[in-house]
Amino acid sequence: MNRIKASLMPAALMGTLLIGSGLATTSFAQDPYTVGVEASFPPWAYVEAGEFKGIAIDAMEAIAEEAGIEIEFQDMPFPSLIPALAAEKIDILATGLTVTEERSENIDFTIPWWETNDVVLVPEDSDLNVFTAVCCGASVGVQGGSSQQAWMEENVVNSSDIDVELSKYDNYVTAVDDMAIGRISSVIVDDTSAQEYINAGKPVKMAGKIYIRAPLALAVSKGDPQEILGDLNQGILAIYESGEWGKIVENYIPGVTVPAIPGHMPDFVDTYQKPVAGLPELGNE
Amino acid sequence: MDIYDVLLRDFPFLLKGLGVAIVLLAALLVIGFVLGMGICLVQLYGPRSRLVQWPLVLYERIFRGVPIIIMLFIFFYGISGVWDISAFGAAVLAMGLRSAAYQSQIFRSAFQSVPAGQMMAARAMGMSKIMAIRHIVFPQAARHAIGPWTNEFSSEIKETSLAYVIGVVELTRQAHYIITSTQGNVLTVFAVVALLYFILNRTGNSLLYALERKLAVPGFEK
Repeated sequence: MNRIKASLMPAALMGTLLIGSGLATTSFAQDPYTVGVEASFPPWAYVEAGEFKGIAIDAMEAIAEEAGIEIEFQDMPFPSLIPALAAEKIDILATGLTVTEERSENIDFTIPWWETNDVVLVPEDSDLNVFTAVCCGASVGVQGGSSQQAWMEENVVNSSDIDVELSKYDNYVTAVDDMAIGRISSVIVDDTSAQEYINAGKPVKMAGKIYIRAPLALAVSKGDPQEILGDLNQGILAIYESGEWGKIVENYIPGVTVPAIPGHMPDFVDTYQKPVAGLPELGNE
Repeated sequence: MDIYDVLLRDFPFLLKGLGVAIVLLAALLVIGFVLGMGICLVQLYGPRSRLVQWPLVLYERIFRGVPIIIMLFIFFYGISGVWDISAFGAAVLAMGLRSAAYQSQIFRSAFQSVPAGQMMAARAMGMSKIMAIRHIVFPQAARHAIGPWTNEFSSEIKETSLAYVIGVVELTRQAHYIITSTQGNVLTVFAVVALLYFILNRTGNSLLYALERKLAVPGFEK
């Protein structure tokens, strides 16, 4: 919010002046790192009563404290986050971000801090099962630009004769609501979010699980121009080992089993090659 | 906590979002007004040389012909290679420059609705071209422009809601926060937001209509 205020006053005063440092955010060395979040993605990141909340938010603050760095959060819709990181408009991306090969070509991932599987959500009163919910003329909702969309396109829509129509939404809450009024027949979403919807009393149930063991991680711009990847990796491991990570997760998803850190590190991610930044004993050979 | 309590608790944040939208709106309308008026005057009274006129036509065609959401992305990501522009700055620039293209055409039609004979008569009375524009054509054109300008005002209010795609936390984005943190209530939250936009729109238009009535010359053009 400070960023908006800082740029807003001069903009109003200058009115028509197109030049002026007020409209720009010049980076100085002592400036806090900008952490991009998608603040409509509970339990990872959301806004409640004007405050950023969520696992990624709390954990990021703990990591920043551990690493002795200053951070500020900048909210952006999910489809804008990776382009913003690639264009270095933000320094760190902290949301429920799945590690994929395509993404790893444009941004650099930290060590995985979570692992998810995908879930097929259907309306509570639906008699669709995990097979019928994603075939035979079904209309399936996903979040635009998400790993679920990529997975569905790669494994179902493009590679088989299964007749499925993918509906892409700005965020998962709209997708789930659209399913409730019958516009789509199912929603593919990660298991953490799905549990969240069920806990919140939405009229949905899980028809089945797709085990993909997808790692989630933080990310920085490609090539780590700010040289913070090592700090973040050490920070993630440190808050895991101190038990703080477990407390943060338990606070948002009571009763969940916390995956071990470091988890499964896919070969296709170049920052997982040995030595991993900040943690030289780790990494794929 | 039911949704009405949440709305009550978070209403200040919705108003804050509305404030961001209003500042964005004011900034883009001012840019649009000044540039648009300039373009209009040069198109009508400036040098006829193609060197001057063609770039203006090109500018106006491009900014009227490209969707604003594309312009927002171009200004935010495209310009950042040259100049580290903030999301709010990018939104003001993209929307202000586009509004200039629209407003230039509103003003052009208003100026052209003043009969050409008046300009000739003013010149024949010994007024310079600038004096004639300032004292004869402009006062009449300004009155004609208010009606169409209310359209520009109304549509720009609503377009400010698109700025959230590049990370400007305005009213629509604040509404998203409530919807996602409460896991739903799309209808209730957006109904409140729609009402806020509507009130802003009505207030602005009422003021403009009042101005139009105030400036109207009794017995003239009736």
